[in-house]
Amino acid sequence: MTTQNMKFGSSICIWLLLTSSAALAQPAISEGPTSATGPISGYMDFHFNKGEAEDGVLDFHRFVLIVNHSFTPRIRFVAELELEHAFIEGLEESGELELEQAYVDFLLTRSFNVRAGMLLVPMGIINERHEPPVYMGVERPFVDTVIIPTTWFENGAGLFGEIGRGFRYRAYVMAPLNALEFSADEGIRNGRQKGSRSDVRNVAYTGRVEWVGVPGLTLGASAWSGKSSFLAPRLDVQVRVGEADVRYRRNRLEVRGEFAQVWIDDAERLNLTAGQLTGVSPNIARQLRGFYAEGAYRVWQRGPGRDLVGFARYENFDTQFRMPSGFIPLKQFDRDAWIAGAAYFPDPDIAVKVDYVWQRSLSTVVIAPNGFNIGIGWWF
Amino acid sequence: MRHATGLAIALALLLRGPDAGSQTPRRVVRVSAERFAFTPSQIVVDAGEEIEMRVSSDDTAHGFHIAGTSVNVVIPKRGRGEVSVTFRAPEPGRYVFECTRMCGAGHHFMRGELLVRNPSANQSRK
Repeated sequence: MTTQNMKFGSSICIWLLLTSSAALAQPAISEGPTSATGPISGYMDFHFNKGEAEDGVLDFHRFVLIVNHSFTPRIRFVAELELEHAFIEGLEESGELELEQAYVDFLLTRSFNVRAGMLLVPMGIINERHEPPVYMGVERPFVDTVIIPTTWFENGAGLFGEIGRGFRYRAYVMAPLNALEFSADEGIRNGRQKGSRSDVRNVAYTGRVEWVGVPGLTLGASAWSGKSSFLAPRLDVQVRVGEADVRYRRNRLEVRGEFAQVWIDDAERLNLTAGQLTGVSPNIARQLRGFYAEGAYRVWQRGPGRDLVGFARYENFDTQFRMPSGFIPLKQFDRDAWIAGAAYFPDPDIAVKVDYVWQRSLSTVVIAPNGFNIGIGWWF
Repeated sequence: MRHATGLAIALALLLRGPDAGSQTPRRVVRVSAERFAFTPSQIVVDAGEEIEMRVSSDDTAHGFHIAGTSVNVVIPKRGRGEVSVTFRAPEPGRYVFECTRMCGAGHHFMRGELLVRNPSANQSRK
């Protein structure tokens, strides 16, 4: 990291902390039980990222608006529109405008409700619970990026509800992934059809069960399965994703952990077919695997809802965990990372975050870069 | 004079209502809200029972509404205390309670159930 960039990052960090502290130093303004909110909700994510030996980047990463409407008490609509990286330009890699959610709920009973439209895949800790103040770290975990491709959304329909004793479920039928877009470094991520004229010659089935029977504890398990080779009819690429996670919070301590694995059937023929179509073999694995464990501790609490939380997370993720016969795994994709940092909450809905990422891979040639990140994220 | 005093006492008793003298203790139920669940998510009470619900949040502000009743309050954000609401349990049945303030992607998952039992039926079962 150059001295100039370090100074710039430090300046932003100090400015953010001073601004939020100054706001709190004002005379107390009488407010009701909560701050005001309008018909539109949403969240924002503004980052400074500085990779080792790279220039620092200021990125308005996410600008998300959520609208909802109740037709009747039992029929409701929710939509989430996200602008990523602030700017969209045709045919160039810049920002993205995504319709991440747009569904209608038919609320029937406690245990049986129907949902249809653009849905979040019920997979893992982050995909359905991704507002910036609810997770530690400026960026989402690597496992929730390259193993579980958050934010993973797709057209579909299904059921959800609570079946007693703290058990909740979601079960959806959705459009599948497009296996020809899979890659060696980001796994199944680029295979998301994102609800844009999604091919449904085959469909995928997905579900999640959660147990929230003890205050502070959430145990979850998710699964996804679907044939994903609709663009190459003679292929039979069944993709399955399995996941298990835990979150537990007691007093000032919060711990969470997640394990996820992806199985890609017929990966050998998938590589050969993709190689014939593009001229380059994508070297797609037949299994991907990742897991992480995180501990966070509320080291400082002052006034109503003002906290400083320190955290550390270890992640291990390999997008070439098992290769099909005849294909060699590249060591640079067998990675792990330590992320340590802090989040200051001047309000429970605003998080000012700082962290440092130590990343390693088994490769001695392609070095995974370390990085320094600052961010401010808020929910409204 | 004695008749007037007796009449005044009888009138006072009438005005105090039918539950005067049979003071059943108010039942306190604590509920915790967090994206996107209430804990506990099922609460069992007896019809006619006086309930005081003390609801707090572990993150953002949420709403707390029990369908079919007048209970509809805002739960303050974490660290800003709890909201307390007192009501008499309605007729036996199942009443959905839910978050009424958009709180994130899983807002509509945030529901629970108030199960109101018939106390006389419960006693007869014993």
